[in-house]
Amino acid sequence: MPRIPSIRLEGLSKRFDGIVAADDISLEVKDGEYIVILGPTGAGKTTLLKMIAGLTPPDSGKIFVDGKRVDNLPPEDRGMVYLSQTYALFRHMTVWDNTKFGPTVKDWDESKCDMLAREMLNLVRLYDRRTARPDELSGGMKQRNALARALATDVKILLLDEPLRALDARLRIELRYELARLTSDLGITALHVTHDQEIAMTMADKVAVLRKGRIEQLGRPEEIYDNPARPFICHFVGEANFFEGTVHSVSEDHSELEGEGHVLRARPTNLPQGSEACVGIKTENVRLLDGVVDGQNHIPAKVVRKLFLGRLVSIVIETDDGKMLHVKTPSSTGAGFSKGMEVTAHLEPSKCIIFPIPEKGLKEELEVE
Amino acid sequence: MPRIELKGITKRFGEIVAVKDVNLTIEDKEYVTLLGPSGCGKTTLVKIISGIWEPTEGEVLIDGKRMNEVPVEDRDLGYVFQNIALFPHMTVLSNATYAPIVKDFPVEERDKIAQEVLDLVDLLDRKKFFPGELSTGTQQKAGLARALASQAKLLILDEPMSALDARVRVDLRYELRRLVKDLGLTAVHVTHDQEEASSVSDRIVVMRAGRIVEIDSPENLYNNPKSIFTANFVGEMNFLQGAINKLRDYWAIIELRNQEYLTLSNRDFRMGAAIILAMRPENLRVEELRGTRLGNAIPGRIKSIRFMGSYLRYEVLLASDDHVFVDSFAGEEFKEGEQVAVSFDETNILTFPAPREGLSEVIKLE
Repeated sequence: MPRIPSIRLEGLSKRFDGIVAADDISLEVKDGEYIVILGPTGAGKTTLLKMIAGLTPPDSGKIFVDGKRVDNLPPEDRGMVYLSQTYALFRHMTVWDNTKFGPTVKDWDESKCDMLAREMLNLVRLYDRRTARPDELSGGMKQRNALARALATDVKILLLDEPLRALDARLRIELRYELARLTSDLGITALHVTHDQEIAMTMADKVAVLRKGRIEQLGRPEEIYDNPARPFICHFVGEANFFEGTVHSVSEDHSELEGEGHVLRARPTNLPQGSEACVGIKTENVRLLDGVVDGQNHIPAKVVRKLFLGRLVSIVIETDDGKMLHVKTPSSTGAGFSKGMEVTAHLEPSKCIIFPIPEKGLKEELEVE
Repeated sequence: MPRIELKGITKRFGEIVAVKDVNLTIEDKEYVTLLGPSGCGKTTLVKIISGIWEPTEGEVLIDGKRMNEVPVEDRDLGYVFQNIALFPHMTVLSNATYAPIVKDFPVEERDKIAQEVLDLVDLLDRKKFFPGELSTGTQQKAGLARALASQAKLLILDEPMSALDARVRVDLRYELRRLVKDLGLTAVHVTHDQEEASSVSDRIVVMRAGRIVEIDSPENLYNNPKSIFTANFVGEMNFLQGAINKLRDYWAIIELRNQEYLTLSNRDFRMGAAIILAMRPENLRVEELRGTRLGNAIPGRIKSIRFMGSYLRYEVLLASDDHVFVDSFAGEEFKEGEQVAVSFDETNILTFPAPREGLSEVIKLE
């Protein structure tokens, strides 16, 4: 079994007309890891991937594969393949010829090319459709054909640019399992960029959150979700409510934030007493109680809207002083609440994450576009 | 007061039948969504309603009047496009004034209407911006304003969210429904995203292969789908295959593969009949494998555990050779490889007669 490659990025930077697309990006991807780079539109995700692939030259920085520098090599010599959002299949070629294209270009002997094409088409379950042309395929099949073509070049590093974006919502759910299974079966190191936090949560070994050209946090999905490094990440991965105020008290096992008419208990913090801070709680962690119930971190409110989403319901409540809180809860729990009802929001202190107020203010911090 | 009636609509493109014998009534002021996978005919159908395409067979009635051969510009509807399609060289305000000008409204009214619709979508402060200067979510709000400015009472929304990032979509959904309801419009919305459909619609029309599969409220489609296809398409679903092994007045025993058994109330089953059991991941529980099994539980082994944010998703290979996903809010109580039991409440299980063409064929998405 050949070695699975590792990738290391050192201080990659790129500017377009004064706009920073990549700002001193360093990242280490271990062999066989599935890394998802998550960020909103305009965060610099595609630029980063194209720099690694060799399609966009960085202004500065280095790229290593297995410890060897590759940023001075042309794309085809980097041992990786870049799969664009548009699949870029040859329209006049069959599924089979498209898949065989990669190995053929590499000038491998005919029988090896045939074998690789057959193997990869079986893997993506398209062998039966090998005589079809791209136009005769559904979106999901085109995506799998492009994947088979990429894999047939026998490379061990896969760079995926929103590979599931063009697919139907339901099909996307199925294909994300398939894609993760395939790369792990084949021993491939994958870098996948997306704006979709659900894809990041379900597919990644590690998630790198990208914002304005910077990697703001790198960690396992549960770390990113449970211990976000800044308010933006708390809000972007899972959606959150925020309260602004000052640190009222600190102790070993909790802190208190005073602001917006409440004293909220939150996780411990290193911030000194009296400093400006904010507390974030994910919409999925807000518990709704029926009626007015006194207690620690209890906030009385009224239901102002409720949307049925299927598995979940999305509920918006308005507190006495007019603040809107967003709540997501399983449909079975949410069924008992309706518009106009008096409720109490319980914000479990261990789920209340305290952050320093970001430099440019909370509003700017939370913008997702 | 647009009330739309489609009678026996069929549309062929050469040999391909895109829509087949569709009958559908959309009431005045109703928000209806056409939901289905790519190629199901939902876009064709909405283009027939709006007059972009003519049906090969059948009749389109709006408020009882036959609309076949009436061109799109005379059907009095607002259209919101998938690719947003604002005029890039025109400001947000000029885009919003476009329809009133084309419709030849009096000059003094044009500006008033444009201001009004921009106010509705909360874009008055951006009226002098060009589309390129706005985020995609804001651009689509401007697209919505432009459609509303036609003052039409029928709003067509053709995959209006698909160009937007996931997070931006969620905010816009509520806006859409609120506007349609506040303005008393009839809305026909096309999407492949069941969550989007559920959050905006009064009723959802599920389509597949050119036909309507079923029509119902979002809650009913999720909780009590009448077809296996809908059960799978609207939210995630686990399916088990079984056969009626014993039948009594009030209960039945279902045999799964490898001599595993379940007990269900008798729902007019027939002895020996092959059935499909459908259950949502959130309605199953992973439990310790006890010595004696009480109630409905099937032993299995945990194949994988996935962190999903507020819950964990266990993938369990059951002793019946079925794979199921189980969503748990209880934290990580079990480990990969562990022998467990998957239990469930009888009332959360849907049953369907086993389809002749096989389960995988009827739930196929492409």
